[in-house]
Amino acid sequence: MDQETSAYDLKPWTRHYGDAIASRLPPLRHANLAGLIRDCERRFAKQIAFTTCMPNGMNGSLTYAQVARHSDAFAVYLRECVGLAAGARVAVQTPNCLAYPVAAFGVLKAGCVLVNTNPLYTPTEMEHQFKDSGAEALVIVDMFANKLEGVLAKTGIRKVIVCQVPQFLPAIPRAVIRAVMKVWNRVLPPIAIAHVQLGRALAEGERAKKEKRIDVASYASALERDTLAVLQYTGGTTGVSKGAMLTHGNLLSNLDQALAMGRARIVDGGECVLTALPLYHIFAFQFNLLCFFACGARNVLAPSPRPIGNLQRAFENFPITWVSGVNTLFNALLNEEWFTAFPPRYLKAAVAGGAALQHAVAERWERVTQTRIAEGYGLTEASPVVSFNPLTGVQKPDSIGIPVPGTEVRLVDDAGQPVAPGQPGELIVRGPQVMAGYWKQAQETASTLRDGWLHTGDVAVMDADGYFKIVDRKKDLVLVSGFNVYPNEIEDVIAQMDEVLEVGVIGVPDAKSGEALRAYVVPLAEGLTEEAVRAHCRKHLTDYKLPKAIEIRKELPKSPIGKILRKELRAEYARAAGT
Amino acid sequence: MLTELETRLLGVLMMVIMLGMGASLTFKDFRIAFRKPQGVLIGLLCQYGIMPLLGYSSAVLLGLPPAIAVGLLLMGCMPGGTTSNIFTYFSKGVLALSIMMTVCSTLVAVLMVPLLLAFYGNLMAVSSEYVIPAANVAQVLFVLLVPTVIGIALRKFNPNVGAVIELIGALLGVFVIVFLIGSWVPRNWSLLMTTPWSVYLAAIGLGVIGMLLGFLLSRGLKQDRRRARTIALETGIQNGPLAVLIVTLTFTGTMQQEVLLIPVLYSLFIVLTSTAVTIWFRRVTTREDLARDQAKVPTALQPARA
Repeated sequence: MDQETSAYDLKPWTRHYGDAIASRLPPLRHANLAGLIRDCERRFAKQIAFTTCMPNGMNGSLTYAQVARHSDAFAVYLRECVGLAAGARVAVQTPNCLAYPVAAFGVLKAGCVLVNTNPLYTPTEMEHQFKDSGAEALVIVDMFANKLEGVLAKTGIRKVIVCQVPQFLPAIPRAVIRAVMKVWNRVLPPIAIAHVQLGRALAEGERAKKEKRIDVASYASALERDTLAVLQYTGGTTGVSKGAMLTHGNLLSNLDQALAMGRARIVDGGECVLTALPLYHIFAFQFNLLCFFACGARNVLAPSPRPIGNLQRAFENFPITWVSGVNTLFNALLNEEWFTAFPPRYLKAAVAGGAALQHAVAERWERVTQTRIAEGYGLTEASPVVSFNPLTGVQKPDSIGIPVPGTEVRLVDDAGQPVAPGQPGELIVRGPQVMAGYWKQAQETASTLRDGWLHTGDVAVMDADGYFKIVDRKKDLVLVSGFNVYPNEIEDVIAQMDEVLEVGVIGVPDAKSGEALRAYVVPLAEGLTEEAVRAHCRKHLTDYKLPKAIEIRKELPKSPIGKILRKELRAEYARAAGT
Repeated sequence: MLTELETRLLGVLMMVIMLGMGASLTFKDFRIAFRKPQGVLIGLLCQYGIMPLLGYSSAVLLGLPPAIAVGLLLMGCMPGGTTSNIFTYFSKGVLALSIMMTVCSTLVAVLMVPLLLAFYGNLMAVSSEYVIPAANVAQVLFVLLVPTVIGIALRKFNPNVGAVIELIGALLGVFVIVFLIGSWVPRNWSLLMTTPWSVYLAAIGLGVIGMLLGFLLSRGLKQDRRRARTIALETGIQNGPLAVLIVTLTFTGTMQQEVLLIPVLYSLFIVLTSTAVTIWFRRVTTREDLARDQAKVPTALQPARA
């Protein structure tokens, strides 16, 4: 990278930190996540750490002390009973429930590496992730354990631990929920593979701990800042899912960075955060799980936010002060009478990430709840937070805000040279939160991490205040007869139509123009025609930006948190064109 | 008819069911229902406007004999039945609104039922002195309100206890519905065989057309779809047992038997038709829930779709 100072290196955004945000962060207080977790468990011992709230209001909780006891027992179980060594990978595959923090913290305390796994994965995806990560043990929710049948033998998994969504709930509600799941919803298929129930594993761990007089803290004593903590799989740029290596230092640093942006509004031991996004996703993992555990908050876990009415009892029964979400979640809440008529009374702020927050959603949220949604930007490879709109200060609509403290950000051209402020360029990031690399993917790592700079593949612009705005994905850029077209712009135009629910635009090879735009449109109701979309586009877009083909369809491929997957659309088109 | 013991047992079951219904609710649910208080008024309008008129006009149109016509008219003038709340619960309607409508129509019944009977009775020239058992109306309110309030309190006190009771109430609700259907048909087989088609039509039509008109009127008066469905169920489902009681207190001998025909038939068929309608409404509601999940946020330029 060049030596001269660019506009980005002057960090014009720091003047918007104000008094509330420290521009320099103190050194990390803990050597590893296990140390932080243990420290919080001691500080907030008697307070409630996690609550699972089912859609019908049934709930159960664990205090910080109970989390400590169970996760210690689980750590001992992994090390002594399963016989794992430090650094062994342990996959955790469950929706939000009390078993998740127990298992995840247990893995970290054992000095093992946590492999977050989406419970909705297909057997093929599971096989790839388990084999690639070399997972030796797996914690899986009973609902999906039957998917392991054809997969398990092909992986290195030696022990399967099965947990339940109503785990740790009082006996009667737990039995009722399981009966309903089994008889009414029929989502508890019999499990044919050898496994142990989490409750049993914890009891064995507890016994081993007593018999062998184990000091659980010793498992983590050798873990350092640059020791691998979590393998977080991401689709990334090439399609095949790969594991971002997040170290203890990465996650601890990003925790401090993210917290710095909201610290002024957080009271230690006095917050209640609603977790409707899945904890296996990096956003909720860092923001909801780690950040708010570090603040002694009560974390209300919702196993499934769909339909959105599932969150009603959580909002009614708990004094929610913070909520994290993606655009679709906030949108859905704002469509509910129970939410808009009686917005959460204690709410302080909401945090959005994952996908662009729509203007209309942000505005209406502020009107309904009298609080702001702070939109941020991050990616798995950065543990994940890169930038946020400050809660205390200027917030800009459609902007991803300003970089978090201790983060360097530049926008560069194809040659790696910083572009002039106001010009679009690829966003690159350097800081303590940037991953160590991709697991066993030296080539991918080398192309993504250059001189310590993480190349995000996102094209952004910076305004005079140092606020950033994402233009689009670099790889999604379409070159139509030599003109640059960003699919986002076309999608925004089409999405303005009342009849359109959602839209995805991609570039496909074209004999005449090199590349051509292709739009996939999901209508809100039947009756939307290609011609109507075309007419609308003609009104708002110049010629070369007009989609050449428009396809009306029922749904679009999406990621677990609701991002439209253009790469799937491209693959689908390529398959169709190839045959 | 049911035996004394069965009636008592059913009464107890109804209380447990209402306890469960109450346990599914919070006070906030009532506040949400009351954000549009016209819902309750529209419910009353349907209950005492549409239903008696429907009873009267079908009696005239079908040319029913006087005794049967009296039974039909009486059925039309009844307040909403408690079972409407169970069906509303299962159809994912606005339960709080349903309960408030039942309470209001039952309260008003003491005044409205004699007035309406006198008015339409005059039109049909079958006027008679009806005995309205105020004590029984009070009992209906008691069975409805007390368990509901206890249920709500339990849910507030401990959501886990509330949710378990809700489930028990729901299971009992299904049981009672199945029991009513299962036990009614064999007992009244001969009655079913000898009843003319016009009486069937009147007994079934009162409920079904009542629901349809209730839905249309509520939609016409700008109630949202979920509320309109709730009002529809409330309108169509009348308090059958109360009608039976009034008949037995007012009439004697063969006259009593004839007047009873419609209330008895109605009580059977309303359970059947409401079950079908509930299953249908439940599907529609689920579909709407999922669609609303994805719908665009209403803005100044794009107001919410009703």
